[in-house]
Amino acid sequence: MTTDADTADVRPAWRAHGTSRRSTHVLRLRACAALVTVTVLAVLLVPPLVQLDQQAVDLAAKLEPPSWAHPFGTDDVGRDLLLRCVYGLRVSLLVGVVAALTATVIGTAVGAAAGALGGWADRLVMRLVDTLSSVPHLLLGIFIVAMFRPGVWPVVISVALTHWLSTARIVRAEVLSLRSRPFIDAAVSGGASRWRVTVRHLLPGVLPQAGLAAVLMVPHAMWHESALSFLGLGLPTHTASLGTLIQGARGSLLAGQWWPTLFPGLFLIVPTLAVAGLAGAWRERINPRRRSELML
Amino acid sequence: MTPAPLLAVRDLSVRFLLPGGRRVDAVSDASFDVAPGECLALVGESGCGKSVLASALLGLLPANARTAGHAHLGDLDLLTADERTLARTVRGRRVGLVPQSPAAHLTPVRTIRSHIEETVARLTGVRGRAARRKAAEQASLRAEFPLDHLDRHPHELSGGLAQRAVTALALIGGAPLLLADEPTTGLDRDLVDRTVDELRRHVDDGHALLMITHDLAAAERIADRVAVMYAGRIVELTDAAAFFGSPGPRHPYSRGLLEALPERSFTPVPGLPPELGSLPDGCAFAPRCDRATDACGALPPFADSVACHHPVTAPADASHATRTPEDTRA
Amino acid sequence: MLELRAVTAGYDRRAPVVRDAHLTVTPGEAVGLLGPSGCGKSTLARVAALLHRPDAGEVVLDGTPVRGFRHRAPREQRTAIGVVFQQPRLAADPRLRLADLIAEPLRATGRRASAAERVRELADTVGLTPDLLGRRPHEVSDGQLQRACLARALSLEPRWLVCDEMTAMLDASTTAALVRVVEDYRASTGAGLLSVGHDRTLLNRWCDRTLPWEAVTAG
Repeated sequence: MTTDADTADVRPAWRAHGTSRRSTHVLRLRACAALVTVTVLAVLLVPPLVQLDQQAVDLAAKLEPPSWAHPFGTDDVGRDLLLRCVYGLRVSLLVGVVAALTATVIGTAVGAAAGALGGWADRLVMRLVDTLSSVPHLLLGIFIVAMFRPGVWPVVISVALTHWLSTARIVRAEVLSLRSRPFIDAAVSGGASRWRVTVRHLLPGVLPQAGLAAVLMVPHAMWHESALSFLGLGLPTHTASLGTLIQGARGSLLAGQWWPTLFPGLFLIVPTLAVAGLAGAWRERINPRRRSELML
Repeated sequence: MTPAPLLAVRDLSVRFLLPGGRRVDAVSDASFDVAPGECLALVGESGCGKSVLASALLGLLPANARTAGHAHLGDLDLLTADERTLARTVRGRRVGLVPQSPAAHLTPVRTIRSHIEETVARLTGVRGRAARRKAAEQASLRAEFPLDHLDRHPHELSGGLAQRAVTALALIGGAPLLLADEPTTGLDRDLVDRTVDELRRHVDDGHALLMITHDLAAAERIADRVAVMYAGRIVELTDAAAFFGSPGPRHPYSRGLLEALPERSFTPVPGLPPELGSLPDGCAFAPRCDRATDACGALPPFADSVACHHPVTAPADASHATRTPEDTRA
Repeated sequence: MLELRAVTAGYDRRAPVVRDAHLTVTPGEAVGLLGPSGCGKSTLARVAALLHRPDAGEVVLDGTPVRGFRHRAPREQRTAIGVVFQQPRLAADPRLRLADLIAEPLRATGRRASAAERVRELADTVGLTPDLLGRRPHEVSDGQLQRACLARALSLEPRWLVCDEMTAMLDASTTAALVRVVEDYRASTGAGLLSVGHDRTLLNRWCDRTLPWEAVTAG
C-alpha cells in the first residue's frame, strides 16, 4: 500500500512551462517600487530632517557643475540644485496627488451617477463632458489659473477641473457594462434598492479602474503643473517646483550649462515611469482573466 | 486490431502551484490513446480537470503549472516541445482546435472569409489572391459552411453556422488530430446533434478526435470510446457502446453520472466532488460511493478499463444494478 | 397565479424579440417553456421575473397587475419571484464570498439578524459544504456556484421561481441535484415554477406541462 501517485514507478518529474518571463517582471516591479519609495521618503523626510535652507543664495558659487559639495550643481544664484529639486518635487507631488484625488472623486461621482441613472440625465452629463473635453486641457487650465492669484491651490484646482473628465468616462462605461450583468438582475430581484445596487454592487466593481486611473493621473497632473509653471502661470517663481526650476534654467541651457535643466527633468520623468510601472502591474493583478488563471 | 494511435498520452499529470505553497492537482496520471478515425470522448463534471488536460496538450498552460508524463503525437512529445515548435508546427497543422464558444473565438469586426483566408495563408502557404480565395472556399465546403454566408460577420451567423465556421478553421491545416473543447455548450439539442454529426463525419474521414464534454448525450452520439474523469483522474476508459448500452459503466461514479440523466433515473450522485487542492490518498470517489469499503483507502490501480476496487463487474450484475425505476416519458 | 398577457418585449421597439406572448402558471404548478436558443425565451423569463419592462401587454402577479418593473416594482412583488440564470459566473458578484452572495437578498430586505442562520440552512439545502461558503466565485466550480445562486433565489422564500436555462452549463449529476432541490422546495412551499430551456427530455421529466415556444407567442 502506498500513498504516492504512482505505485511502481519513481516519482514523476515535474516540468515548468515559461517561467523566465516572470522573473524580469518581478525585477521591474521591485525597481519601480524602490524608486517610488525613495521618492516619497525623500520628499517627506529631507525637508524636516536636513536643516538646510533651499533658498540660501551663494552668488560666489553660481552655476557650478555637479561636484561633491553640490551633487546636482548650483543654479544661477548659487542655490544647491539637489535641495531645490527635492523641494520642487515636494510641491509638484503635492499638487499631483491632491489634484488627482480630487479629479478622481469628481469623475467617479459624475460617471457613476450618469451610468446608474441612464436616460436623459446620462445623455446630458456626457454631452457636457464631451464639450469640456473638446477644449484643450492646457487652455482650460490656463483659463482657470488666470482667474486667481498665483499659488499652489489655483494650480490644484486647475489640474483637478481639467482631469476628471477621463475618469468620468471610464467609470460610466464600466458602470454601464456592469449594469447589464445578470448579477445586477439578481440583486434587483432580491429586493435591493437603487442605492444599494449602486453602492454595493456597481461602485465596488468600478473602484479598481478608478483607482488605477487616479494613480496614472498623478504624474499627468505633475506634468500639467510643470507646464503651467513653465509658462509662468503656475506657481510664483520663488516657490521651487519642477516646472519653475526648468523654466528658470532655460537661459543657462543656451549658455551650455546642462545641469539646471537635466536634473529637474529627471526628477519629473523617473517617478513618472516608476508610478506608471506600478500601475501597470496593478492593472494586471486586478484583471479578472489573470484571476481565473487556474482554469478550473 | 485498432490502428496505431495518433496521440498517445501516458501518465499525464498537471498541477498548479499557488501562492502560499498550496498546490492543486488538476490532472493525475491520465493515460489514453486516440487513433485515426476514432473519437474518444472525455467526460466529467465541470472542474474535474478536463479543460486543463486539453490546455496541456496544446501547450497553453499558465506559468504556475507543472506537468509530468508524456503526450506523444507521432514522434513529438507535446509536453516537452518548446513554444516555437508548438506555434510553428503543431497548433493548426498537427492539432486542430474546435473551441468552446465560436462567438468568442472569431474576431467580431472581420468577416468569415477574412478569417478563413488568413488561416489558409498562414497554414498552407497558398500564394496569390485568387488561389487563396479558392482555397478558402474549398475549406468552407469541407465544413459545409455555405459560401453565400462567407462575407458575413460572426454576429450575423446562427450558432450552428458559427460552429461550422470554427470547424472549417480547425480543418484548414490538415491536422490529423482534432481537439474539441466542449463544442456543444449552450446549444440546443437539435444543434448539438447536428454539430456532433458533422464532427463525426470528419472522424470517419480519418481524423482522430478528442472531444471534451460534460454532455453525455453528445458523447453517446459521437464517441467510439469514452473516458470518464473524476477529480483529475481517468476512472474508466471503455468502449462507448458498452458504456451507454449493455453492460453499462463499471465504475460507480460513471454509473451514477449516467443514471442522473433525465432519460434515466434522474437521481444525482450524492455529495460534492473533492477539492483538487486536497485530494484524499485513496480513491477520491469513496466518500460518495455506496460500494466503498476499507480497501478504498488505497488508490485503486487502473486495470481492465476501470480504476476501482469494487467495479460493477459482470453483465448479469450490471443489469441487476440498473433495475431502478425507469421513467418512460423520455 | 403568475400571468403574462399579450406581452411584447425586446431591446428595440421596432424589432421586439417576444411578440404577443401568453402564459399562465398556477400556484404549485411547474411549467416548462421549450425553445431554441436565441428565440427570446430569456427575455420572456426576465419579463416574468419583473426584471424587464415589456413594450406592450401586462404581467399579473397573484391577481394584481404589475405597474412597474425592476426598481419601479414594489419590493414585495419583486421578491415574490426567485430567479436563477443560465451562467452562474455572470450571475454572481465576483467580489462576494458565497455566504455573502446567498445572504445578499436577506440583507437587502433588512433581515440581517437572521441571515447567518438562514445561510447555513440554505447551504445545507443545496448541498454546499461550510468551507465552500468562505470562497469567492472564481475559487469554485460552475456547479458549486450555481448551487449558491439557487440558494440565493430561495433565500426570501419566493412564491414563484423562474429558472432561465438553470442547468445548461452543468453536468448530469449536478443538474439532477439542483432539480431535486427545486422540487423539494416546491413540495414544501407550494411555489409555482416557470422553467425555460431547450432540453425537451429534461423539461418533460421536470415539469407538469411543457409548452413549445410557438404555442406561447405569436410569430
